[in-house]
Amino acid sequence: MTAQSIPADQLLSAIREAGVQDVVLVPDTHQRTVLDLLMADDEIRTIHCSTEDEAVAVSAGLIIGGRRPMMQIQHAGLYASVNNLRGVALDGHFPIVLLIGLLGRDPELAPEQDGSSMVRLCRPLLETLDIPSHLLDGPEDLHHVAEAFDEAQERNGPVALLVGTTTS
Amino acid sequence: MTDNTEVQRMSLDAALDVLARRRDEQVVVGTMTANGAWRQKSPHNLNLACIGFMGGASTLGLGVALSQPERDVWVIDGDGSLMMQLGSLGTIAGAAPSNFLHIVIHNGVYETSGSQPLPSQQQVDFARMADGAGYAQTGSFGDAEEFDSAIDDLLAAEGPTLIQLYTRPADRFYSARPTPPGSTPALARMWPPVAEALAKM
Repeated sequence: MTAQSIPADQLLSAIREAGVQDVVLVPDTHQRTVLDLLMADDEIRTIHCSTEDEAVAVSAGLIIGGRRPMMQIQHAGLYASVNNLRGVALDGHFPIVLLIGLLGRDPELAPEQDGSSMVRLCRPLLETLDIPSHLLDGPEDLHHVAEAFDEAQERNGPVALLVGTTTS
Repeated sequence: MTDNTEVQRMSLDAALDVLARRRDEQVVVGTMTANGAWRQKSPHNLNLACIGFMGGASTLGLGVALSQPERDVWVIDGDGSLMMQLGSLGTIAGAAPSNFLHIVIHNGVYETSGSQPLPSQQQVDFARMADGAGYAQTGSFGDAEEFDSAIDDLLAAEGPTLIQLYTRPADRFYSARPTPPGSTPALARMWPPVAEALAKM
């Protein structure tokens, strides 16, 4: 397997087609080309948080108020957000979709074989938390974006999308 | 440096009474010891609570405020709670919701666990921190009458606003009861009726 870079405009289109109104984020180097487009976008609002666990709670509040948010973070932020993923997203049954960049991943390897603990432990952690995840390893995987929102609604809980290599 | 160990302090009851008299159709997010007292003083179908994710009240309220710009959102936060998510001051100031009121109950202790002191030894000043973060307005009160006289002007102005209320800690603590397997968590029961009420308004 070799992960292919996803062009930023294609990922943005997938986010738009999923009906996302707000992107709640802590910046991710891995997805910076997408961030550039999002921050210049007139329709999708970006909300910048200091920490990723804040982003979980902000997303939950947006859902209470009737909005359709998506979280965008880096894998390091997944580890930092565990308490609110548990206490807010899981315990609150909030359908939050997380777009998580696997910064520094070797695109030739499955994430679980990666030399970096931040990449390697990502999916095992999500499995422990009972959060389904889908790998975006190229443009052909972008159908997972809209599907993740349906899945999150159906299971009343969070769903993660892992961006396999740096967006272009 | 301010030495808040010497500041005047009101009772939590008196502080919440001032707020309850102004309660209308605001969404109110409570947390920690103030939450139970608030829900008794101001029962309402737009009350939310931060239970089980200490520190998250301010950002849960921020999300609601950003989704409902025409509706006022009050967060009744704790000092120990806010210390756990201090970065939220910058997040809130950056998002700059004009409909956001951040009340911080400053009793100087972790009351729910038995009133152990905060790491700051009670000297931390959240109003000054919020000023520095970029809140539109801040206020700080230790006397209920003074707070009562000032709050209407603070509510009338555009936020985000932070009001620090110095209160006397109570001598109590809370112990958690075991959760029966398969039970629905409190947060999952609490928010859907609030969302439904907001959607109908």
